[in-house]
Amino acid sequence: MNRVIGDLVLGVRLAVGGSRKSWTRLALQGLGIGLGVAVLLFAASLPSVLDARQDRHNARNAVSEGTGPAPLLAESQSHPFRSEYVRGTYLRAMSPDAPVPQGIAKVPGDGEVFVSPALADLLATPAGTELLKPRFPQKVVGTISQAGLLNPRELLFFAGDARIQPNEHGNTVYGWGIAHEGGGMDPLLWLLSIVGIVVLLFPVLVFVGVATRLAAAQRDRRLAALRLVGASASRVRLIASGEALAGALAGLVVGFGLFYAVRPSLDRISISELSAFPSDVMPTTALTLTVVVAVPVLAVVTSLVAMRRTIIEPLGVVRDQKPVRRRVWWRLVPVVAGIALLVSQAGKIGETDGRPNQWPVVLGIVLLMLGIPVLLPWLVERVVFLMRGRTPALQLAVRRLQLDSGTAARVVGGVAVVLAGTVTLQMLLAGVEQEVRADEKKQANFNYLTINPGTDSDVNAIAAALKSSKGVTVVHRIDQAFGTLDSGGHIAINIASCEALAAQGPVPNCTDGKAYVVPYGDGQPTAQAGDVLTLRHSGEKWTVPSSLETTQATFPGLVLTPAAAKGLVAFNSQYIAKLDPSVPDAAEHARNALTVARPWQVFTYFVGQDDTAEAERVFGVIRRALLAGTLLTLLVAAASLLVVALEQVRERRRPLAVLAASGVPRGTLARSLLWQNALPLAISTVVSLATGIGLGVLVMRVFGAEVAYDWAGLGLITAIVVGLTFAVTALTLPSLRRATGALGLRTE
Amino acid sequence: MNTPGVYMMCIVAPMSIGHALLGLLEGGPRHGYDLKRAYDERFGQDRPLHYGQVYSTLSRLLKNGFVTDAGVEAGDGPERKRYAITDAGVTDVERWLSTPEKPEPYLQNTLYAKVVLALLSGRSAADVLDTQRSAHLDTMRELTRRKSDGDLADQLICDFALFHLEADLRWLELTAARIDQLAVEVNR
Amino acid sequence: MTLLRAEGLSKSFGKTQALDGAGISIRAGEVVAVMGPSGSGKSTLLHCIAGILPPDSGTVHYRDQDLTAMNDSTRSELRRTEFGFVFQFGQLVPELTCLENVALPLRLSGMKRKDAERAATDWLARLEVEDVAGQRPGETSGGQGQRVAVARALVTAPKVIFADEPTGALDSLNGERVMHLLTTAARETGAAVVLVTHEARVAAYSDREVVVRDGRSRDVEFAR
Repeated sequence: MNRVIGDLVLGVRLAVGGSRKSWTRLALQGLGIGLGVAVLLFAASLPSVLDARQDRHNARNAVSEGTGPAPLLAESQSHPFRSEYVRGTYLRAMSPDAPVPQGIAKVPGDGEVFVSPALADLLATPAGTELLKPRFPQKVVGTISQAGLLNPRELLFFAGDARIQPNEHGNTVYGWGIAHEGGGMDPLLWLLSIVGIVVLLFPVLVFVGVATRLAAAQRDRRLAALRLVGASASRVRLIASGEALAGALAGLVVGFGLFYAVRPSLDRISISELSAFPSDVMPTTALTLTVVVAVPVLAVVTSLVAMRRTIIEPLGVVRDQKPVRRRVWWRLVPVVAGIALLVSQAGKIGETDGRPNQWPVVLGIVLLMLGIPVLLPWLVERVVFLMRGRTPALQLAVRRLQLDSGTAARVVGGVAVVLAGTVTLQMLLAGVEQEVRADEKKQANFNYLTINPGTDSDVNAIAAALKSSKGVTVVHRIDQAFGTLDSGGHIAINIASCEALAAQGPVPNCTDGKAYVVPYGDGQPTAQAGDVLTLRHSGEKWTVPSSLETTQATFPGLVLTPAAAKGLVAFNSQYIAKLDPSVPDAAEHARNALTVARPWQVFTYFVGQDDTAEAERVFGVIRRALLAGTLLTLLVAAASLLVVALEQVRERRRPLAVLAASGVPRGTLARSLLWQNALPLAISTVVSLATGIGLGVLVMRVFGAEVAYDWAGLGLITAIVVGLTFAVTALTLPSLRRATGALGLRTE
Repeated sequence: MNTPGVYMMCIVAPMSIGHALLGLLEGGPRHGYDLKRAYDERFGQDRPLHYGQVYSTLSRLLKNGFVTDAGVEAGDGPERKRYAITDAGVTDVERWLSTPEKPEPYLQNTLYAKVVLALLSGRSAADVLDTQRSAHLDTMRELTRRKSDGDLADQLICDFALFHLEADLRWLELTAARIDQLAVEVNR
Repeated sequence: MTLLRAEGLSKSFGKTQALDGAGISIRAGEVVAVMGPSGSGKSTLLHCIAGILPPDSGTVHYRDQDLTAMNDSTRSELRRTEFGFVFQFGQLVPELTCLENVALPLRLSGMKRKDAERAATDWLARLEVEDVAGQRPGETSGGQGQRVAVARALVTAPKVIFADEPTGALDSLNGERVMHLLTTAARETGAAVVLVTHEARVAAYSDREVVVRDGRSRDVEFAR
């Protein structure tokens, strides 16, 4: 055992105690593995972040039942601002010992407000001052601390308001902090995260493997020297593992460094859901230990596996020269199994709304991803083997790859996983975005603000305030009732004038006295003429008019003009304010006008142009983050490719110099290098695009979602890959130039 | 043109003692005993000259006009006559140095003497070597040609000669590479 | 007829003066040995007269063209079409088969693959190594590899073959064989050979020698 450790230590010494070259190699390894470790640490922090969030979320829940008079009254309200929601609670302390919510110093008095830092920032912006501040006339008496916030960018307030009265909805608060069940993640979002994590983690593992093998030829020469002085083959392997260990340890140091360097800036992420308190981002002990142990073990195992075919002899390294024809059948297993699992699950997740059997889906995705680097070496070998090389440059490249395509294939295998994952994510994103956009576009075209005042609001004052608001052209009123069919179906009933109906969609030939039925989205009829409804609230019976027209204009249910609604008593009223699209932020002005009402009693719905812009911004940020991540991984891969290419030029210095001396144009040699880099990358890009798109389609099918293609994104990725190929080749050219200069001919 | 021979025996090339003594005298007049000592020191390693050889050679050179009497040194030794080199003697040394030896094995005594004397007299030792190389190469070319046309026996015999000639040339190259070092030593 | 003529060549690498006013003249069809101790500048002289290295000063004329006035790509093309090269080792592309290696110069000049490989096969046969045509250089012996290299140098029917220590990595017998084949083939095709060597037995295959010492070349053909 001592000898084993001694040999490993010798390996570490060889890795660090050498020339500038061995330092460069160690630095590259450290950087490559370090990037991976940092990603792993962030992934390992995810449980803590989510736990902390959940804890604070629970702490925010009100305990609404208790004995005696309630010490505190609370009304929750969200203020939409453009596409963001400012959430908060209006509070009224009924006794001096009223429970204080987490994150603030005291229950705010009447006319006082606590705001979150993000809300304070927003209110300080010009737009916030003009368009949001009117809704917060209270005096800001403090900010909400981290203990009261889910994430650093959350928009939250606690305002004191003496007008709150106890009501039957249960606005009484006896204390704070209660755990509610449920509220899990949206399955699609959940799957997106899984795919994302797999996509990120996989290349990390691949790169740890590749980085371990950087500059292998140089290492082999060193090891041959060890054999010469009498080390046995197995000890040499152990020493080689020691070198890999050194890289892994350097990677751990770099990784932890990166992690702690990046962590403090996490609260500056502009998308609130993605931001996190740095102090929450703490990898769990178990996962940290796993990373610390697994990365070096992986490095050692990879290097042992890599040397399986290498026989290190005292006078040099013999690689089993006869290239072993790679067998395909077992390489196909993960891909086929992955596809089979995904196909078997197609459409199932859409059916049940809870958590369907996600494991087959996740396993399918992971297997498909795993299949790429497994399949790629075989594929590259096959393709290259079939090529003959029309031009001398291509011939040189093809022959070179035929002799050893493994190294390049492994490097690009890592790239391929990232690319495939990115493509899949882009497709999922494009799919989600398309749905969201379609909804928003539809509503944005209407450009109406819907106002839902509470039942006891001063509706006339609201109507008056709306009418005088900037950018509001007309205000319609829609009364609402709700009925139950004998068969058990619930029917929403809207009573509105023809003008008000027209505000919701085209209703042809509308005259007062007509009645309409709006079928469900899937075409199922909601109610039929002559049906008898039991009205909620009043409990009276009401018969559906006999002359019933069908329209698609508005919400499913019945739509009645006032004359057709005789005998119906509405329990609720809604206002629809038509907005002048030429007035910017008309919706915000209208919302500000509503402050005449008690703020917690009015709800507004509007998705207009500003909001789509915001959604686009969010998608844009996600896409840029995705691209940045891809670019980063591709850069690491390109660096690996560069090392491989430089090493090859160095190994082939002599033949290259002779070729140049014999008059072979440098251009031909440069082109052969380009081909040599381009072929594996091209194959892997095609494979990863195909896999990514295929996986995307399969996953979208699983969710029964519409398939969308992000051609621009795919084009961009392809362009980046092409660019990197040229960049790597260009960076190899100086060393090619050096090798082919006449000095390359001079004996070493 | 040199005719190549087949050298199957060890032939010791006759060393030109006369030229050697002349070369030594170029450094300045000496008497016979000095000359013998200088010669033995530089060239006579295992075969020192006899006095008789020295005086007979000197008297031949005197007769040919290559050396001349330079007076008798005062002292009590038996023979204190000093000799000096004449212009004709210098010319003779020059001719000797610039004429390559017939490319034969075991020339080193003569070649070495030539190199040392060239150095002693401030002439170019490299020229001596190049001249000799050229002569050797000509012989080797002829042998190579014969080898290409001949049967296996011819080839083997030619190769023997070629390898020996090559050894001479390699020795020449080695000497040439150390001329500066040698110059320091001989002029000390 | 003088084919190649260089005068007053000087070349320095950093502080090392490799050539210091060297000159040489090569007639069509002759075999000239360039001799000299290692470090004397004989390889640099070969690189300069073959247009691989531009000299610091001096001129190199091939026929009526001034090599020193040419740009890199023109010199490359001249080397590819008019000259052939044989070096001591490591000159074959390890990934290509021997046949492809020999065919490479022809293909670079635009010849069709089939034609190029047919010509290459002929030359491999002339150098008695047709049986290694399908093997990679790493799978052949040193002597075979060097003969393949000679075939590659000759395949374009060059006017001058530059050989820099072509037998340096071979034993005597293989070296002699390569030299015999090289000079015989060169005489048959009328190509001149500039042979850099420090071995007299190799130089003995030449018609005359030029000695390089301390960066200066000497003409020692005097006893003719």
